[in-house]
Amino acid sequence: MRTLSIATEILGKILHLSTFLGILRDLLRIRAFAVGLIGILALTIFSLIGGLVTSYDRTYAGAFDPQLPPNPRNPLGTDLLGRDIYAQLIYGLSNSLAIGIIAGAIGTLLGTLIGITAGYFRGFVDSVLRLFIDVNLALPSMLVLVLIASYFRGLDYIGMALIICLFNWAWPARQVRAQTLSLRERDFIYLARLSNMGRFEILVREIMPHLTPWMVANFVNATISAILTESGLSIIGLGPQRSMTLGMILHWALSYAAIYRGLWWWWATPVIFLSIIFIFLYLIYMGITRYFAEREVFA
Amino acid sequence: MSSPFFIKYFLSRLGFYILTIWITLTLTFIIPRLVPGDPITAALSMLSEAGALRGSQEIVDEYKKLFGLDKDMMTQYLSYLGQILRGNLGISITNFPSSVSTIIATALPWTIILLSTSTIISWILGTFLGALAGWRGIEKKRFELLSVAALLLYIIPYYIVAILILWLFIYTIPIFPRETGYGSINLTLESILDALRKSSLPALSIVISSMGWWFLSMRSLIATVKREDFILMAEAKGLKSSTIMWKYGFRNALLPQITGLTLALGHITAGALVTEIIFAYPGIGWLLYQSILQLDYPVIQGIVILITFTVATANFIVDTIYPLFDPRIRR
Repeated sequence: MRTLSIATEILGKILHLSTFLGILRDLLRIRAFAVGLIGILALTIFSLIGGLVTSYDRTYAGAFDPQLPPNPRNPLGTDLLGRDIYAQLIYGLSNSLAIGIIAGAIGTLLGTLIGITAGYFRGFVDSVLRLFIDVNLALPSMLVLVLIASYFRGLDYIGMALIICLFNWAWPARQVRAQTLSLRERDFIYLARLSNMGRFEILVREIMPHLTPWMVANFVNATISAILTESGLSIIGLGPQRSMTLGMILHWALSYAAIYRGLWWWWATPVIFLSIIFIFLYLIYMGITRYFAEREVFA
Repeated sequence: MSSPFFIKYFLSRLGFYILTIWITLTLTFIIPRLVPGDPITAALSMLSEAGALRGSQEIVDEYKKLFGLDKDMMTQYLSYLGQILRGNLGISITNFPSSVSTIIATALPWTIILLSTSTIISWILGTFLGALAGWRGIEKKRFELLSVAALLLYIIPYYIVAILILWLFIYTIPIFPRETGYGSINLTLESILDALRKSSLPALSIVISSMGWWFLSMRSLIATVKREDFILMAEAKGLKSSTIMWKYGFRNALLPQITGLTLALGHITAGALVTEIIFAYPGIGWLLYQSILQLDYPVIQGIVILITFTVATANFIVDTIYPLFDPRIRR
């Protein structure tokens, strides 16, 4: 029992749960953030619940008659291969969101780790890591991903998320590094050093909590860029062939000339859902930056 | 700027530039070798199964000779670097025996014409509208509407704008030419005009989708300048408000915006790959798409190298030249 309570106390300290809830409450008062968050949650719930009223075999070629406009059996019609578009949307939406969240989370964590290390230890470590960050940012990431994805075909959506991570960490790393550099000169860090705290302890207990807002903003940003990259790669023909994503629906629609054929229900579905995902995510990002700008955290 | 400092700065940028190129070349060397099996052979066998290939053995031999595929890794690597640095990007698989450089050289002018024209038009429109909106104040209703539109264009990916434009102007109101250009562009007036006409629709989509960013950045730049003391001074002197805006505000806000344009122009090879695919416009993006469909690995690799090279070069030039022009960033 005692170990458990100590464990929860430590966990609570690390996560700063009460602070976190306080920040969340303040954030929800910002309209952009509230709308964005509710929107994304609604889309997530829709993709989860929507799966209950459809089944994966409806996305197989020949499941229905081709080119059906929206009808009671196929609420969003069918494509040229007779696949139900509503079913594609449900699976595509959840996979696209999953790619964004997985790649966004891994990229942000990796970037934060690298950024903190570079900013806190400075010197040689910093020079090497900064070089990595700068080179990574200088490469046209989309093109290198094209090269990777063209050799490693047949990835599923998890594999896709993982290769996107290769280029998703550098921006958070640069931001966190700059922030750590300024934090380590603050008085409370001197105080911690004077009171004989170890380097690692200072990093985790003193610097990390101040970086949380940065990590959250970067996470949303990295999620946006991951979904953007995935849909771009998919349209080019390098998407996860074995999973449905919004980008893949768009890819099929474009390669079968859905626009010229007037099959609006086919191409408009991924277009609308991709657009609203980006708008909601951006609203969240805007809300967070506005919140921290008001409190001058983003100094 | 003192010259020893500039030389040191220049050398560090040059070192970074060379490092970026070297890392790209190394990546393009390593990635294909991480795949189990030999991708060249795999691609060839897939194509010959489809009956779409002539001279497959010649290609394999040619590759072995060019890149020393039968030797050890280090020799392969050095010979690869040597070939690429001499401008030899290999030979296309689907268009054997055309060299990758020739194929890319055919597609490149299309991309350059499309992207340079549309980037400049978009920049001009976005910058002026942004300046007006930032200066005249956000309180005016029509500028507020413009700002929301710009923000939307900034958030929504460019290929979605391209899809909507395609649907609007080709399917719904078919007023634009549906056929697109193929073949090479000569440097005759006629040929260039023809390319411009065929680029009109993809260009329109790029102009619209990138305008949002130019608008937003100019708006915030000029709003910052407006709070400067010299603007107050100019007002106190009783200058005409239009003079203050264009001569004092606009000119001072313009420099970062010009840097943005220079960078964007340097990135045009990578700028709108997907737009070209959507409009079947025969530039680098379309070539990339075709090569991916046909598993033409040498061409894919050549495009990746070319684009990284141009982007890195553009960054290098801007980094080097910029401190010469803007005294404010001299350290």
